[in-house]
Amino acid sequence: MAFVERTVKEGDNLAAFFEGGEERRLTLTDGSRIAVIGGGPAGTFFTYFLLRLAESIDLDVSVDIYEPRSFAYQGPAGCNHCGGIVSESLVQLLATEGINLPPAVVQRGIESYVLHMDVGTVRIETPLQEKRIAAVFRGNGPRESEPLPVSGSFDGFLLELAASSGARVVRKLVSATSWDTGRPRVTCSDGTSATYDLLAVAAGINSQALQLFQEIAPGYQAPKTLKTFICEFRLPREALDKFIGPSMHVFLLDIPRLEFAALIPKGEFLTLCILGDDVDNALIDTFLSAPEVKACFPDGQVPAPACHCFPRVNVEAAAQLYGDRIVWIGDSGVARLYKDGIGSAYRVAKAAAKTVVHHGISAEDFRQHYGPACGRINSDNTIAKFIFGVSTLIQRVRFLRRGVLRMTANEQQRRAARRHMSTVLWDLFTGSAPYKEVLTRTFHPEFPAMLGWNLLAGNLARRRANGSKGNAHG
Amino acid sequence: MKTGTFEQVLAQPAQAEQLPPCGANCATGTDVRGWIAVVAQRHKLGLTDADAISQAWRMVADVNPFPATLGRICPHPCEAGCNREGKDGAVAINALERFLGDWGLRQGLSLERMESDPKPERIGVVGAGPAGLSFAYQMARRGYRVTVYDGEPKPGGMLQHGIPEYRLPEEVLTGEIQRIRELGVELRLGTAIGRDVSVDELRTQHDVLFLGIGAQRAQRLGVEGEDGPGVWSGTEYLSSVNRGAPPALGDDVVVVGGGNTAIDAARTARRTGARVTLLYRRTRQEMPAIAAEVEEALVEGVTLALLAAPLRIERTGEAVTAITVQRMELGEPDASGRRRPVAVAGSAYELPASAVIAAVSQEPDWEGIGSLYTGPTWVKTQPWGRIDEQLWAGGDALGLGIAGIAIAHGRRAAEALHAQLRGQPAPAAPSRAAVTGKAIKPDYYAACARTEAPALPAAQRLVSPETEVHATIGEAEFLEEVTRCFSCGLCFGCEQCFMYCNGKGFVRAEHAAPGAYFTLQLDACEGCRKCIELCPCGFLSAQPLA
Repeated sequence: MAFVERTVKEGDNLAAFFEGGEERRLTLTDGSRIAVIGGGPAGTFFTYFLLRLAESIDLDVSVDIYEPRSFAYQGPAGCNHCGGIVSESLVQLLATEGINLPPAVVQRGIESYVLHMDVGTVRIETPLQEKRIAAVFRGNGPRESEPLPVSGSFDGFLLELAASSGARVVRKLVSATSWDTGRPRVTCSDGTSATYDLLAVAAGINSQALQLFQEIAPGYQAPKTLKTFICEFRLPREALDKFIGPSMHVFLLDIPRLEFAALIPKGEFLTLCILGDDVDNALIDTFLSAPEVKACFPDGQVPAPACHCFPRVNVEAAAQLYGDRIVWIGDSGVARLYKDGIGSAYRVAKAAAKTVVHHGISAEDFRQHYGPACGRINSDNTIAKFIFGVSTLIQRVRFLRRGVLRMTANEQQRRAARRHMSTVLWDLFTGSAPYKEVLTRTFHPEFPAMLGWNLLAGNLARRRANGSKGNAHG
Repeated sequence: MKTGTFEQVLAQPAQAEQLPPCGANCATGTDVRGWIAVVAQRHKLGLTDADAISQAWRMVADVNPFPATLGRICPHPCEAGCNREGKDGAVAINALERFLGDWGLRQGLSLERMESDPKPERIGVVGAGPAGLSFAYQMARRGYRVTVYDGEPKPGGMLQHGIPEYRLPEEVLTGEIQRIRELGVELRLGTAIGRDVSVDELRTQHDVLFLGIGAQRAQRLGVEGEDGPGVWSGTEYLSSVNRGAPPALGDDVVVVGGGNTAIDAARTARRTGARVTLLYRRTRQEMPAIAAEVEEALVEGVTLALLAAPLRIERTGEAVTAITVQRMELGEPDASGRRRPVAVAGSAYELPASAVIAAVSQEPDWEGIGSLYTGPTWVKTQPWGRIDEQLWAGGDALGLGIAGIAIAHGRRAAEALHAQLRGQPAPAAPSRAAVTGKAIKPDYYAACARTEAPALPAAQRLVSPETEVHATIGEAEFLEEVTRCFSCGLCFGCEQCFMYCNGKGFVRAEHAAPGAYFTLQLDACEGCRKCIELCPCGFLSAQPLA
């Protein structure tokens, strides 16, 4: 009966309901049990929205979140590995959903970023007030840090939020999945198992969990991933204030295989993120030996990191990420390329929750109502690949770097109303806006004109300077 | 950072089994964690409940042929260091062992032979107590012909005569000894050396002798009025009760001593309906008896008179009427580290007494066998109980201890003797440093309350004095209690290292076994130490990058 009421209330799917016949439709009903594998942002957002939406239509379901790890652990053991950047737009979006990040979670507000290139350095202030970003720790901070309060871990906060919404957190590791007369069954490493009406996989890509579904969902193909690097340096607060400030430092250096690197201040730590092609120890050491990098540390000395990891990022979406009674969300499905993975986890988790509560839990329901949300991220990622291609080009070609530097520096100096390059770079490096918007902004007629002028002026000025220097030497 | 510095901070995991506190503290040297693991991990090992329990029993019986017995009487030092203690109580290892022991008896499991080829050496054992029987068992299963001599008509030594029925029913002990007999060990009971068999006969009939004579001679109180009727030693009293011929004690029994024999005697006397006072010259804190047993004695109505020493036993004619008691106070620490009791002048008082049981201490009784061993009263041996090539010893004759120690003496002597006779290298000394502290992560493990064995109400105990005070836990409780084990220092397959390694550095082992669920592939290691920090049991430790 709950189904009929719900369908009528929602005002859609009536046709499908009558045409398909109730027995052929897969929906959640009172008493349905949902298993969520993984208690990171995707799993907790999904749970939070699912329970809230279900409550709003008087649907009584239960959710078990399987998360064996404790976000109270320090270092990689309690961390879901990412740079820990949450854009202000996401913070505000979450606030409208009733999710308010407690102050203890925000390690530092980022108010500007500093772009470092071999041709010079430029500071870019927050383009607009609402575009500040928050730096967070996913777990309980780096190894040997001052322990954070329980709510100080971003993922810990979200998991508590899901638990307080009524979900049960099962601190067990899932070691197998199977079908139990058409329903997904979850088996844990301690030998216990349980059968559910719906299985949501939010296991991320930094575990071996995605191997667990080969038998029950042979069509699912895990996303293609890229190895990145993150580490944490412990620095005295005074040194952080002096050398880093409330800024994210972005490096576009012409180092082979290096795509992008950033330093982000958090509390007494400085987080380093490196994106690149096959990041390895040699690349890390080369980067850390670059003069532009050393200059960000007291006495030019880079300390040994307190902890580090090589997280994988989703660079190409998973294939067939739903089926009857099963859906993949977050990084194990689709994610925004390189940036704002938390934001994309939020979007897909909400879309999936809406689908299962308001429509159904069959593959067809997911295709119609969850697929489009994933598709939007996918097509934005296609644009992203183009933009990052251009960014790499800039990184590799010195004269382009000069143009970008000059244009940005001028915009910042003049405090111009239209800061084309600044905004583009900000959004690109913080992930504050969809890549499509970033690209659209470069279509503004002033952009190519300004860039062209700065390319000329920047490199002309440089040649003159070189020329005079050369003369002096000669 | 200089080039290469980043690599210097990297560390790799090493899979290294660590000694758990239970195993390190177990008197018998049983692999406690190992047998618990077989049951707790039975699903992963593909064992049925029954097969897993029987396998655990065999692992215990491998070193201790008396699990049902020790499961009842052992003061379980294994539980003392349990890393679970601070979370929600130590694993109830003693209760688990008792269940296993009863399981073995109920299922009719037999002890396993190790070597089937018969050995030519004839082995004689003096004393059918825990040390002698443990030694006999270990020798017999290695193919030796073993004869055990005991002056008493029933085997078991102190287990048989010194432990009251309400703590250890005779059928349990008999059942466990029967299995040793079934291995071919010959028990010559009621055969005292020097009375029924001469030392010379013993020497000619056996190539090697093992002395497991215990410490049966009770020390005297050394007070006026001690000689005469109405005064017994603790072992005398307990063994006469166990023989079915309890002496008449009267209404006011005073037991002197603070050890387990004193407590057993007091509780046994209390079961006759008498008022029982236990006299101890120090405080309760210094009592060597098992704390839980002292607690049970109090529950049953035994009165403790602490800081009190006997001064004189008062008699009217032959009959004991009272005991004069000297109040004591604690002075400077003595050689044992305990504070020495000192008499408080002018504080003597009289306690009414119809009988006095003196359970102060015991020492080896060399009557009839003095020519076998000419050393001091307490036997001094080389490692593993070796006195010389033909003479070995173990148990209380080496110093008073719990039954578990005697069982270990017997086993270690057998292992060393077997090595000597077969020309094999002597066994190595066991390591004793156990894994504790930071390496264990108690919060990984789900909370689960400790199983407590049900106890008979005190009133019931006095009504049926032979009924066991504590019951054996049920199979369901047993199967739940094993899940509480942290498996300190040995992989139990939590799978976190495998699951969370970014580099896929752990590969499922083809044949899963405790400690061998995953193999390491260090080529894939990215040095982040996540696996080490996630490992809840301390099996993974850090080593510098190769």
